Amino acid sequence: MFVKELTKKYDGKAVVDGVSFDIPKRSVISMIGPNGAGKSTVLNILSRLIARDSGLVDFEGQDISHWKSKELAKRLAILTQSNNIQMKLTVQELVTFGRFPYSGNHVTGEDMAIVERAIQYMELAPFRDRFIDELSGGQRQRALIAMVIAQDTEYVLLDEPTNNLDIYHATNMMKIVRRLCDDLGKTVILVLHEINYAAFYSDYICAFVDGRVARFGTVREVMNKEVLSKIYNVDFEILEIEGKPLSIYY
Amino acid sequence: MLTRAQRSNRKKLCIMAALVLLAAAAYMTVDVNFGNAKLLAYSMRIRAPKLLVMLITAFAIGGASLVFQSIINNTIVTPCLLGMNSLYTLIHTAVVFCVGSGSVLAANANAAFAIDLVLMGVTATLIYSYLFKKTKHNVLYVLLVGTVLTSFFSSVQSTMTRVMDPNEYDTLLTTLVASFSNVNAEIILFALAVLAAVIFLLRRELALLDVLTLGKEQAINLGVDYDRCIRRLLLGVTLAIAVATAMVGPISFLGLIIANLARQLLRTYRHTQLILGSALFGMIVLVGGQIIVEHVFTYAVPISVFITVGGGLYFLYLLLTRRRV
Repeated sequence: MFVKELTKKYDGKAVVDGVSFDIPKRSVISMIGPNGAGKSTVLNILSRLIARDSGLVDFEGQDISHWKSKELAKRLAILTQSNNIQMKLTVQELVTFGRFPYSGNHVTGEDMAIVERAIQYMELAPFRDRFIDELSGGQRQRALIAMVIAQDTEYVLLDEPTNNLDIYHATNMMKIVRRLCDDLGKTVILVLHEINYAAFYSDYICAFVDGRVARFGTVREVMNKEVLSKIYNVDFEILEIEGKPLSIYY
Repeated sequence: MLTRAQRSNRKKLCIMAALVLLAAAAYMTVDVNFGNAKLLAYSMRIRAPKLLVMLITAFAIGGASLVFQSIINNTIVTPCLLGMNSLYTLIHTAVVFCVGSGSVLAANANAAFAIDLVLMGVTATLIYSYLFKKTKHNVLYVLLVGTVLTSFFSSVQSTMTRVMDPNEYDTLLTTLVASFSNVNAEIILFALAVLAAVIFLLRRELALLDVLTLGKEQAINLGVDYDRCIRRLLLGVTLAIAVATAMVGPISFLGLIIANLARQLLRTYRHTQLILGSALFGMIVLVGGQIIVEHVFTYAVPISVFITVGGGLYFLYLLLTRRRV
Protein backbone atom coordinates (compact mmCIF):
# COMPACT_ATOMS: atom_id res chain seq x y z
CA MET A 1 0.00 0.00 0.00
CA PHE A 2 1.31 3.44 -0.85
CA VAL A 3 0.05 6.98 -1.31
CA LYS A 4 1.26 9.50 -3.81
CA GLU A 5 0.80 13.27 -3.94
CA LEU A 6 -2.29 13.16 -1.76
CA THR A 7 -4.10 16.48 -1.45
CA LYS A 8 -7.22 17.53 0.41
CA LYS A 9 -8.54 21.05 0.74
CA TYR A 10 -11.21 22.49 3.01
CA ASP A 11 -12.49 25.90 1.91
CA GLY A 12 -9.47 26.44 -0.28
CA LYS A 13 -7.03 25.71 2.52
CA ALA A 14 -4.90 22.62 1.99
CA VAL A 15 -5.17 20.33 5.02
CA VAL A 16 -3.21 17.60 3.30
CA ASP A 17 -0.69 18.88 0.82
CA GLY A 18 1.23 16.56 -1.51
CA VAL A 19 1.66 13.65 0.88
CA SER A 20 3.53 10.59 -0.44
CA PHE A 21 4.83 7.54 1.39
CA ASP A 22 5.05 3.75 1.22
CA ILE A 23 3.51 1.60 3.92
CA PRO A 24 5.83 -1.29 4.79
CA LYS A 25 3.89 -4.52 5.32
CA ARG A 26 3.81 -6.33 8.67
CA SER A 27 4.83 -3.34 10.69
CA VAL A 28 3.41 -0.75 13.04
CA ILE A 29 3.42 2.77 11.59
CA SER A 30 2.58 5.67 13.90
CA MET A 31 1.51 9.02 12.55
CA ILE A 32 2.45 11.86 14.87
CA GLY A 33 2.46 15.62 14.66
CA PRO A 34 0.89 18.73 16.16
CA ASN A 35 -2.89 19.28 16.12
CA GLY A 36 -4.23 20.08 12.68
CA ALA A 37 -1.21 18.65 10.88
CA GLY A 38 -3.45 16.45 8.75
CA LYS A 39 -2.59 13.04 10.15
CA SER A 40 -6.17 12.01 10.91
CA THR A 41 -7.29 13.27 7.52
CA VAL A 42 -4.67 11.13 5.79
CA LEU A 43 -5.79 8.11 7.80
CA ASN A 44 -9.40 8.74 6.83
CA ILE A 45 -8.47 9.07 3.17
CA LEU A 46 -6.53 5.79 3.35
CA SER A 47 -9.65 4.10 4.63
CA ARG A 48 -12.08 5.65 2.05
CA LEU A 49 -14.01 7.53 4.75
CA ILE A 50 -13.11 10.91 3.25
CA ALA A 51 -12.75 11.65 -0.43
CA ARG A 52 -9.45 13.15 -1.53
CA ASP A 53 -9.10 16.05 -3.96
CA SER A 54 -6.20 14.58 -5.87
CA GLY A 55 -3.48 11.97 -5.59
CA LEU A 56 -3.32 8.21 -5.53
CA VAL A 57 -4.03 5.65 -2.80
CA ASP A 58 -2.74 2.34 -4.07
CA PHE A 59 -3.96 -0.80 -2.31
CA GLU A 60 -2.56 -4.11 -3.60
CA GLY A 61 -1.87 -2.69 -7.05
CA GLN A 62 -5.22 -0.95 -7.51
CA ASP A 63 -6.47 2.47 -6.53
CA ILE A 64 -8.66 2.24 -3.44
CA SER A 65 -11.63 3.82 -5.23
CA HIS A 66 -11.72 0.90 -7.68
CA TRP A 67 -12.12 -1.64 -4.90
CA LYS A 68 -15.53 -3.01 -4.01
CA SER A 69 -16.33 -1.64 -0.58
CA LYS A 70 -17.24 -5.08 0.74
CA GLU A 71 -14.00 -6.67 -0.50
CA LEU A 72 -12.00 -3.84 1.01
CA ALA A 73 -13.79 -4.42 4.32
CA LYS A 74 -12.21 -7.88 4.45
CA ARG A 75 -8.72 -6.46 3.91
CA LEU A 76 -8.74 -3.16 5.75
CA ALA A 77 -10.44 -2.05 8.96
CA ILE A 78 -10.66 1.43 10.44
CA LEU A 79 -11.64 2.68 13.85
CA THR A 80 -12.33 6.40 14.19
CA GLN A 81 -12.92 8.59 17.22
CA SER A 82 -16.51 9.42 16.40
CA ASN A 83 -18.64 6.58 17.62
CA ASN A 84 -22.17 7.41 18.41
CA ILE A 85 -24.11 4.19 18.79
CA GLN A 86 -27.66 4.78 19.91
CA MET A 87 -28.90 1.25 19.57
CA LYS A 88 -29.51 -1.17 22.37
CA LEU A 89 -26.53 -3.30 21.46
CA THR A 90 -24.54 -5.61 23.72
CA VAL A 91 -20.77 -5.93 23.56
CA GLN A 92 -21.06 -9.42 22.12
CA GLU A 93 -23.44 -8.20 19.40
CA LEU A 94 -21.18 -5.28 18.53
CA VAL A 95 -18.14 -7.51 18.15
CA THR A 96 -20.21 -9.89 16.02
CA PHE A 97 -20.75 -7.04 13.54
CA GLY A 98 -17.06 -7.40 12.72
CA ARG A 99 -18.04 -10.53 10.78
CA PHE A 100 -20.55 -8.63 8.65
CA PRO A 101 -18.33 -8.31 5.55
CA TYR A 102 -17.97 -12.11 5.50
CA SER A 103 -21.35 -13.46 6.50
CA GLY A 104 -23.80 -10.56 6.37
CA ASN A 105 -26.58 -11.03 8.91
CA HIS A 106 -26.15 -14.81 9.03
CA VAL A 107 -23.39 -15.59 11.50
CA THR A 108 -21.74 -19.01 11.28
CA GLY A 109 -20.12 -21.11 14.01
CA GLU A 110 -16.70 -20.17 12.69
CA ASP A 111 -17.63 -16.49 13.00
CA MET A 112 -18.66 -17.04 16.60
CA ALA A 113 -15.28 -18.60 17.40
CA ILE A 114 -13.49 -15.59 15.91
CA VAL A 115 -15.74 -13.23 17.87
CA GLU A 116 -15.02 -15.16 21.06
CA ARG A 117 -11.25 -14.85 20.50
CA ALA A 118 -11.57 -11.11 19.91
CA ILE A 119 -13.52 -10.70 23.15
CA GLN A 120 -10.84 -12.57 25.09
CA TYR A 121 -8.10 -10.51 23.41
CA MET A 122 -9.63 -7.28 24.68
CA GLU A 123 -10.42 -8.60 28.20
CA LEU A 124 -14.10 -8.04 27.59
CA ALA A 125 -15.50 -11.37 28.78
CA PRO A 126 -17.06 -9.90 31.96
CA PHE A 127 -18.91 -7.24 29.94
CA ARG A 128 -20.13 -9.31 27.03
CA ASP A 129 -23.83 -8.94 27.83
CA ARG A 130 -23.71 -5.29 28.84
CA PHE A 131 -25.26 -2.68 26.56
CA ILE A 132 -22.77 -0.41 24.79
CA ASP A 133 -24.42 2.79 26.00
CA GLU A 134 -24.02 1.62 29.60
CA LEU A 135 -20.23 1.21 29.36
CA SER A 136 -17.56 3.71 30.32
CA GLY A 137 -15.74 5.49 27.50
CA GLY A 138 -12.71 3.25 27.90
CA GLN A 139 -14.69 0.03 27.88
CA ARG A 140 -16.60 1.15 24.82
CA GLN A 141 -13.35 1.84 22.99
CA ARG A 142 -12.09 -1.63 23.81
CA ALA A 143 -15.32 -3.16 22.57
CA LEU A 144 -14.92 -1.31 19.28
CA ILE A 145 -11.35 -2.51 18.93
CA ALA A 146 -12.51 -6.06 19.60
CA MET A 147 -14.90 -5.60 16.70
CA VAL A 148 -12.08 -4.48 14.43
CA ILE A 149 -10.09 -7.53 15.52
CA ALA A 150 -13.06 -9.76 14.68
CA GLN A 151 -13.10 -8.19 11.23
CA ASP A 152 -9.81 -10.01 10.74
CA THR A 153 -8.20 -7.74 8.15
CA GLU A 154 -4.63 -7.56 6.97
CA TYR A 155 -4.53 -3.81 7.51
CA VAL A 156 -5.81 -2.11 10.65
CA LEU A 157 -6.16 1.67 10.83
CA LEU A 158 -6.67 3.24 14.24
CA ASP A 159 -7.42 6.90 14.86
CA GLU A 160 -6.06 7.77 18.31
CA PRO A 161 -6.83 4.42 19.90
CA THR A 162 -5.41 5.45 23.28
CA ASN A 163 -7.78 8.40 23.54
CA ASN A 164 -9.92 8.23 26.71
CA LEU A 165 -8.01 5.22 28.05
CA ASP A 166 -6.21 5.23 31.37
CA ILE A 167 -2.51 4.31 31.55
CA TYR A 168 -3.22 0.64 32.15
CA HIS A 169 -5.60 0.30 29.22
CA ALA A 170 -3.60 2.60 26.96
CA THR A 171 -0.43 0.58 27.52
CA ASN A 172 -2.38 -2.61 27.04
CA MET A 173 -3.78 -1.18 23.84
CA MET A 174 -0.30 -0.49 22.52
CA LYS A 175 0.80 -4.02 23.47
CA ILE A 176 -2.17 -5.37 21.56
CA VAL A 177 -1.21 -3.24 18.57
CA ARG A 178 2.25 -4.80 18.77
CA ARG A 179 0.80 -8.30 19.04
CA LEU A 180 -1.52 -7.69 16.08
CA CYS A 181 1.60 -7.06 14.04
CA ASP A 182 4.02 -9.63 15.54
CA ASP A 183 1.66 -12.58 16.12
CA LEU A 184 -0.97 -12.10 13.45
CA GLY A 185 1.17 -10.43 10.78
CA LYS A 186 -1.09 -7.39 10.39
CA THR A 187 -0.03 -3.97 9.24
CA VAL A 188 -1.19 -1.41 11.78
CA ILE A 189 -1.32 2.30 10.97
CA LEU A 190 -2.32 4.54 13.83
CA VAL A 191 -2.56 8.19 14.74
CA LEU A 192 -1.01 8.89 18.14
CA HIS A 193 -0.56 11.97 20.26
CA GLU A 194 1.78 10.37 22.78
CA ILE A 195 5.21 10.38 21.14
CA ASN A 196 6.71 7.88 23.55
CA TYR A 197 4.07 5.29 22.79
CA ALA A 198 4.95 5.76 19.14
CA ALA A 199 8.65 5.42 19.94
CA PHE A 200 8.28 2.37 22.12
CA TYR A 201 5.76 0.32 20.15
CA SER A 202 6.12 1.21 16.47
CA ASP A 203 8.53 0.25 13.73
CA TYR A 204 8.13 3.42 11.71
CA ILE A 205 7.05 6.93 12.50
CA CYS A 206 5.50 9.32 10.04
CA ALA A 207 5.65 12.88 11.32
CA PHE A 208 3.29 15.49 9.86
CA VAL A 209 3.58 19.27 9.93
CA ASP A 210 1.15 21.61 8.14
CA GLY A 211 -0.32 18.90 5.95
CA ARG A 212 3.04 17.63 4.71
CA VAL A 213 5.19 14.69 5.70
CA ALA A 214 8.00 16.25 7.71
CA ARG A 215 9.78 12.97 8.21
CA PHE A 216 9.04 9.31 7.50
CA GLY A 217 11.51 6.80 8.88
CA THR A 218 12.34 4.18 11.44
CA VAL A 219 11.78 5.08 15.05
CA ARG A 220 15.48 5.80 15.53
CA GLU A 221 15.61 8.17 12.55
CA VAL A 222 12.70 10.27 13.72
CA MET A 223 13.31 10.16 17.47
CA ASN A 224 16.09 12.62 17.42
CA LYS A 225 16.45 15.87 19.19
CA GLU A 226 16.70 18.14 16.15
CA VAL A 227 13.95 16.46 14.15
CA LEU A 228 11.40 16.49 16.99
CA SER A 229 12.21 20.06 18.04
CA LYS A 230 11.56 21.17 14.48
CA ILE A 231 8.25 19.33 14.25
CA TYR A 232 6.76 20.44 17.54
CA ASN A 233 8.57 23.74 18.19
CA VAL A 234 9.42 22.53 21.68
CA ASP A 235 12.77 21.55 23.23
CA PHE A 236 13.42 17.82 23.42
CA GLU A 237 15.84 15.49 25.17
CA ILE A 238 16.20 11.86 24.06
CA LEU A 239 16.88 9.11 26.59
CA GLU A 240 17.58 5.41 26.05
CA ILE A 241 15.46 2.93 27.99
CA GLU A 242 15.58 -0.81 27.22
CA GLY A 243 17.47 0.06 24.07
CA LYS A 244 14.69 2.29 22.78
CA PRO A 245 14.69 6.06 22.41
CA LEU A 246 12.28 7.94 24.64
CA SER A 247 11.70 11.67 24.57
CA ILE A 248 11.35 14.24 27.28
CA TYR A 249 9.87 17.57 26.31
CA TYR A 250 9.57 20.73 28.33
CA MET B 1 -29.20 -19.89 17.56
CA LEU B 2 -31.59 -17.80 19.61
CA THR B 3 -30.56 -16.02 22.77
CA ARG B 4 -32.89 -15.63 25.72
CA ALA B 5 -33.50 -11.98 24.89
CA GLN B 6 -34.57 -12.87 21.36
CA ARG B 7 -36.94 -15.55 22.57
CA SER B 8 -38.54 -13.17 25.05
CA ASN B 9 -38.86 -10.55 22.31
CA ARG B 10 -40.58 -13.09 20.12
CA LYS B 11 -43.02 -13.76 22.90
CA LYS B 12 -43.69 -10.03 23.36
CA LEU B 13 -44.38 -9.65 19.63
CA CYS B 14 -46.79 -12.58 19.71
CA ILE B 15 -48.67 -11.03 22.62
CA MET B 16 -48.88 -7.74 20.75
CA ALA B 17 -50.15 -9.46 17.64
CA ALA B 18 -52.83 -11.14 19.76
CA LEU B 19 -53.80 -7.75 21.18
CA VAL B 20 -54.10 -6.35 17.68
CA LEU B 21 -56.41 -9.20 16.67
CA LEU B 22 -58.46 -8.65 19.81
CA ALA B 23 -58.75 -4.91 19.16
CA ALA B 24 -59.68 -5.54 15.53
CA ALA B 25 -62.34 -8.05 16.54
CA ALA B 26 -63.71 -5.63 19.13
CA TYR B 27 -63.76 -2.80 16.60
CA MET B 28 -65.76 -4.90 14.16
CA THR B 29 -68.29 -6.22 16.68
CA VAL B 30 -68.94 -3.59 19.38
CA ASP B 31 -72.51 -2.22 19.15
CA VAL B 32 -73.32 -4.15 16.00
CA ASN B 33 -76.88 -5.28 15.57
CA PHE B 34 -76.45 -8.97 14.71
CA GLY B 35 -80.20 -9.58 14.61
CA ASN B 36 -80.81 -7.49 11.51
CA ALA B 37 -78.96 -8.79 8.44
CA LYS B 38 -79.21 -5.49 6.59
CA LEU B 39 -77.86 -3.43 9.47
CA LEU B 40 -75.09 -5.98 9.99
CA ALA B 41 -74.05 -5.77 6.35
CA TYR B 42 -74.15 -1.99 6.54
CA SER B 43 -71.95 -1.90 9.66
CA MET B 44 -69.44 -4.22 8.06
CA ARG B 45 -69.32 -2.16 4.89
CA ILE B 46 -68.57 0.95 6.95
CA ARG B 47 -66.17 -0.61 9.40
CA ALA B 48 -64.13 -3.04 7.33
CA PRO B 49 -62.42 -0.44 5.08
CA LYS B 50 -61.77 1.79 8.10
CA LEU B 51 -60.13 -1.05 9.97
CA LEU B 52 -58.05 -1.94 6.95
CA VAL B 53 -56.96 1.67 6.52
CA MET B 54 -55.95 1.89 10.17
CA LEU B 55 -53.87 -1.28 9.96
CA ILE B 56 -52.13 -0.11 6.78
CA THR B 57 -51.52 3.36 8.22
CA ALA B 58 -50.09 1.95 11.44
CA PHE B 59 -47.73 -0.28 9.49
CA ALA B 60 -46.64 2.53 7.15
CA ILE B 61 -46.08 5.10 9.88
CA GLY B 62 -44.53 2.66 12.35
CA GLY B 63 -42.11 1.20 9.84
CA ALA B 64 -41.24 4.53 8.24
CA SER B 65 -40.60 6.32 11.54
CA LEU B 66 -38.39 3.55 12.82
CA VAL B 67 -36.36 3.35 9.63
CA PHE B 68 -36.07 7.12 9.56
CA GLN B 69 -34.73 7.22 13.11
CA SER B 70 -32.16 4.61 12.27
CA ILE B 71 -31.08 6.47 9.14
CA ILE B 72 -30.24 9.63 11.02
CA ASN B 73 -29.17 7.66 14.06
CA ASN B 74 -31.38 9.43 16.56
CA THR B 75 -34.48 8.20 18.30
CA ILE B 76 -36.26 11.47 19.03
CA VAL B 77 -36.99 12.47 15.45
CA THR B 78 -39.82 11.50 13.18
CA PRO B 79 -40.38 12.30 9.53
CA CYS B 80 -43.27 14.50 10.69
CA LEU B 81 -41.04 16.72 12.82
CA LEU B 82 -39.04 17.42 9.68
CA GLY B 83 -42.10 18.60 7.82
CA MET B 84 -42.86 15.60 5.63
CA ASN B 85 -46.53 15.90 6.58
CA SER B 86 -46.75 19.57 5.73
CA LEU B 87 -44.86 18.93 2.49
CA TYR B 88 -47.51 16.38 1.60
CA THR B 89 -50.28 18.82 2.46
CA LEU B 90 -48.59 21.48 0.35
CA ILE B 91 -48.21 19.18 -2.64
CA HIS B 92 -51.79 18.01 -2.38
CA THR B 93 -53.05 21.59 -2.13
CA ALA B 94 -50.86 22.69 -5.02
CA VAL B 95 -52.29 19.99 -7.26
CA VAL B 96 -55.86 21.02 -6.49
CA PHE B 97 -54.87 24.68 -6.82
CA CYS B 98 -53.31 24.19 -10.26
CA VAL B 99 -55.74 21.79 -11.92
CA GLY B 100 -58.90 22.47 -9.92
CA SER B 101 -60.82 20.01 -7.75
CA GLY B 102 -63.15 19.10 -10.59
CA SER B 103 -60.37 17.84 -12.81
CA VAL B 104 -59.80 14.10 -13.16
CA LEU B 105 -56.36 14.52 -11.64
CA ALA B 106 -57.84 15.70 -8.35
CA ALA B 107 -61.28 14.14 -8.31
CA ASN B 108 -60.18 10.58 -9.05
CA ALA B 109 -58.72 9.39 -5.76
CA ASN B 110 -56.22 7.05 -7.35
CA ALA B 111 -54.97 9.57 -9.89
CA ALA B 112 -54.60 12.24 -7.24
CA PHE B 113 -52.75 9.80 -5.01
CA ALA B 114 -50.38 8.80 -7.83
CA ILE B 115 -49.51 12.43 -8.54
CA ASP B 116 -48.99 13.17 -4.84
CA LEU B 117 -46.73 10.14 -4.49
CA VAL B 118 -44.49 11.03 -7.41
CA LEU B 119 -44.14 14.69 -6.45
CA MET B 120 -43.61 13.84 -2.81
CA GLY B 121 -41.03 11.16 -3.56
CA VAL B 122 -38.96 13.43 -5.76
CA THR B 123 -39.07 16.63 -3.70
CA ALA B 124 -38.66 15.02 -0.28
CA THR B 125 -35.75 12.86 -1.36
CA LEU B 126 -34.02 15.84 -2.95
CA ILE B 127 -34.62 18.16 0.00
CA TYR B 128 -33.83 15.76 2.81
CA SER B 129 -30.87 13.94 1.32
CA TYR B 130 -29.33 17.34 0.55
CA LEU B 131 -30.12 18.46 4.08
CA PHE B 132 -28.49 15.43 5.69
CA LYS B 133 -25.41 15.71 3.54
CA LYS B 134 -25.06 19.43 4.10
CA THR B 135 -25.37 19.20 7.89
CA LYS B 136 -23.32 15.99 8.03
CA HIS B 137 -26.21 14.26 9.81
CA ASN B 138 -26.08 16.72 12.68
CA VAL B 139 -29.42 16.03 14.30
CA LEU B 140 -29.88 19.41 15.92
CA TYR B 141 -29.37 21.24 12.63
CA VAL B 142 -31.63 18.81 10.84
CA LEU B 143 -34.36 19.33 13.42
CA LEU B 144 -33.97 23.08 13.29
CA VAL B 145 -34.11 23.22 9.50
CA GLY B 146 -37.01 20.77 9.62
CA THR B 147 -38.98 23.09 11.88
CA VAL B 148 -38.32 26.01 9.57
CA LEU B 149 -39.33 23.92 6.55
CA THR B 150 -42.54 22.87 8.30
CA SER B 151 -43.66 26.45 8.76
CA PHE B 152 -42.45 27.35 5.27
CA PHE B 153 -44.51 24.61 3.66
CA SER B 154 -47.53 25.48 5.81
CA SER B 155 -47.31 29.18 4.93
CA VAL B 156 -47.14 28.50 1.21
CA GLN B 157 -50.04 26.10 1.56
CA SER B 158 -52.19 28.54 3.51
CA THR B 159 -51.42 31.29 0.99
CA MET B 160 -52.78 29.02 -1.73
CA THR B 161 -55.91 28.19 0.20
CA ARG B 162 -56.56 31.89 0.82
CA VAL B 163 -56.74 32.74 -2.86
CA MET B 164 -58.63 29.59 -3.67
CA ASP B 165 -62.28 29.41 -4.63
CA PRO B 166 -64.21 28.71 -1.37
CA ASN B 167 -65.95 25.70 -2.83
CA GLU B 168 -62.66 24.22 -3.96
CA TYR B 169 -61.26 24.84 -0.51
CA ASP B 170 -64.17 23.04 1.07
CA THR B 171 -63.54 19.95 -1.03
CA LEU B 172 -59.85 20.11 -0.30
CA LEU B 173 -60.27 20.48 3.45
CA THR B 174 -61.97 17.14 3.91
CA THR B 175 -58.88 15.40 2.52
CA LEU B 176 -56.47 17.40 4.66
CA VAL B 177 -57.74 16.91 8.18
CA ALA B 178 -56.60 13.77 9.94
CA SER B 179 -59.48 11.61 10.89
CA PHE B 180 -60.27 7.97 10.83
CA SER B 181 -63.93 8.74 10.65
CA ASN B 182 -63.34 10.05 7.16
CA VAL B 183 -60.81 7.72 5.57
CA ASN B 184 -59.82 7.61 1.96
CA ALA B 185 -60.77 3.98 1.33
CA GLU B 186 -60.67 4.16 -2.46
CA ILE B 187 -56.92 3.93 -2.58
CA ILE B 188 -56.46 0.89 -0.31
CA LEU B 189 -55.34 -1.40 -3.13
CA PHE B 190 -53.04 1.20 -4.61
CA ALA B 191 -51.54 1.91 -1.18
CA LEU B 192 -50.94 -1.76 -0.48
CA ALA B 193 -49.26 -2.12 -3.87
CA VAL B 194 -46.99 0.85 -3.17
CA LEU B 195 -45.97 -0.46 0.25
CA ALA B 196 -45.30 -3.94 -1.13
CA ALA B 197 -43.21 -2.49 -3.96
CA VAL B 198 -41.21 -0.34 -1.53
CA ILE B 199 -40.43 -3.30 0.71
CA PHE B 200 -39.52 -5.49 -2.25
CA LEU B 201 -37.26 -2.93 -3.91
CA LEU B 202 -35.55 -2.00 -0.67
CA ARG B 203 -35.16 -5.51 0.73
CA ARG B 204 -31.36 -5.33 0.52
CA GLU B 205 -31.15 -1.92 2.15
CA LEU B 206 -33.60 -2.96 4.87
CA ALA B 207 -31.30 -5.88 5.70
CA LEU B 208 -28.48 -3.35 6.13
CA LEU B 209 -30.35 -1.28 8.72
CA ASP B 210 -28.75 -3.09 11.64
CA VAL B 211 -25.30 -2.15 10.38
CA LEU B 212 -26.29 1.40 9.45
CA THR B 213 -27.13 2.20 13.06
CA LEU B 214 -23.47 1.73 13.98
CA GLY B 215 -22.95 5.12 12.36
CA LYS B 216 -21.55 6.27 9.04
CA GLU B 217 -17.89 5.44 9.69
CA GLN B 218 -18.57 1.95 10.98
CA ALA B 219 -21.02 1.19 8.19
CA ILE B 220 -18.47 2.17 5.54
CA ASN B 221 -15.78 0.27 7.38
CA LEU B 222 -17.95 -2.85 7.17
CA GLY B 223 -18.36 -2.40 3.43
CA VAL B 224 -21.74 -0.66 3.09
CA ASP B 225 -22.31 1.78 0.22
CA TYR B 226 -23.56 4.35 2.73
CA ASP B 227 -24.78 7.29 0.65
CA ARG B 228 -26.70 5.20 -1.86
CA CYS B 229 -28.24 3.13 0.90
CA ILE B 230 -29.43 6.21 2.81
CA ARG B 231 -30.86 7.80 -0.34
CA ARG B 232 -32.90 4.74 -1.21
CA LEU B 233 -34.17 4.21 2.32
CA LEU B 234 -35.15 7.85 2.53
CA LEU B 235 -37.22 7.50 -0.63
CA GLY B 236 -38.94 4.48 0.92
CA VAL B 237 -39.70 6.41 4.10
CA THR B 238 -41.12 9.30 2.10
CA LEU B 239 -43.42 7.04 0.10
CA ALA B 240 -44.65 5.24 3.21
CA ILE B 241 -45.41 8.56 4.92
CA ALA B 242 -47.18 9.75 1.78
CA VAL B 243 -49.32 6.61 1.77
CA ALA B 244 -50.32 7.10 5.39
CA THR B 245 -51.00 10.82 4.99
CA ALA B 246 -53.02 10.28 1.83
CA MET B 247 -55.28 7.78 3.55
CA VAL B 248 -55.97 9.53 6.84
CA GLY B 249 -54.31 12.96 6.73
CA PRO B 250 -51.35 14.05 8.87
CA ILE B 251 -51.04 12.50 12.33
CA SER B 252 -47.88 14.05 13.64
CA PHE B 253 -46.72 12.22 16.71
CA LEU B 254 -47.95 8.71 16.17
CA GLY B 255 -44.66 7.60 14.63
CA LEU B 256 -42.63 9.03 17.47
CA ILE B 257 -44.74 7.29 20.10
CA ILE B 258 -44.88 3.85 18.55
CA ALA B 259 -41.27 3.70 17.37
CA ASN B 260 -39.99 4.62 20.82
CA LEU B 261 -42.41 2.32 22.62
CA ALA B 262 -41.12 -0.50 20.43
CA ARG B 263 -37.51 0.39 21.23
CA GLN B 264 -38.22 0.57 24.94
CA LEU B 265 -40.12 -2.68 25.02
CA LEU B 266 -37.83 -4.76 22.83
CA ARG B 267 -34.44 -3.29 23.72
CA THR B 268 -32.74 -4.72 20.68
CA TYR B 269 -30.96 -3.52 17.57
CA ARG B 270 -32.62 -6.02 15.24
CA HIS B 271 -34.78 -4.07 12.85
CA THR B 272 -37.02 -6.92 11.79
CA GLN B 273 -38.27 -7.08 15.37
CA LEU B 274 -38.28 -3.32 15.88
CA ILE B 275 -40.24 -2.56 12.72
CA LEU B 276 -42.75 -5.28 13.50
CA GLY B 277 -43.08 -4.05 17.08
CA SER B 278 -43.53 -0.46 15.99
CA ALA B 279 -46.22 -1.42 13.48
CA LEU B 280 -48.07 -3.58 16.00
CA PHE B 281 -47.99 -0.80 18.59
CA GLY B 282 -49.41 1.54 15.96
CA MET B 283 -52.25 -0.86 15.24
CA ILE B 284 -53.09 -1.23 18.93
CA VAL B 285 -53.03 2.54 19.50
CA LEU B 286 -55.09 3.37 16.40
CA VAL B 287 -57.71 0.65 16.58
CA GLY B 288 -58.01 0.89 20.36
CA GLY B 289 -58.16 4.68 20.20
CA GLN B 290 -60.77 4.64 17.47
CA ILE B 291 -63.00 2.30 19.52
CA ILE B 292 -62.83 4.81 22.36
CA VAL B 293 -63.48 7.75 20.03
CA GLU B 294 -66.51 6.10 18.44
CA HIS B 295 -68.13 4.51 21.44
CA VAL B 296 -67.06 6.55 24.47
CA PHE B 297 -66.82 10.03 23.01
CA THR B 298 -69.26 9.31 20.18
CA TYR B 299 -67.09 11.16 17.64
CA ALA B 300 -66.94 14.34 19.74
CA VAL B 301 -63.12 14.27 19.82
CA PRO B 302 -61.10 13.02 16.84
CA ILE B 303 -58.32 10.56 17.55
CA SER B 304 -55.68 12.96 16.25
CA VAL B 305 -56.27 15.12 19.32
CA PHE B 306 -55.34 12.26 21.62
CA ILE B 307 -52.34 11.38 19.52
CA THR B 308 -51.04 14.94 19.38
CA VAL B 309 -51.53 15.59 23.10
CA GLY B 310 -50.16 12.22 24.17
CA GLY B 311 -47.36 12.40 21.64
CA GLY B 312 -46.37 15.89 22.70
CA LEU B 313 -46.12 14.87 26.33
CA TYR B 314 -44.19 11.72 25.41
CA PHE B 315 -41.81 13.76 23.27
CA LEU B 316 -41.11 16.07 26.23
CA TYR B 317 -40.57 13.07 28.46
CA LEU B 318 -38.08 11.61 25.98
CA LEU B 319 -36.21 14.90 25.69
CA LEU B 320 -35.99 15.40 29.44
CA THR B 321 -35.00 11.87 30.42
CA ARG B 322 -32.33 11.27 27.79
CA ARG B 323 -28.75 11.86 28.75
CA ARG B 324 -27.83 13.20 25.34
CA VAL B 325 -29.74 14.32 22.29
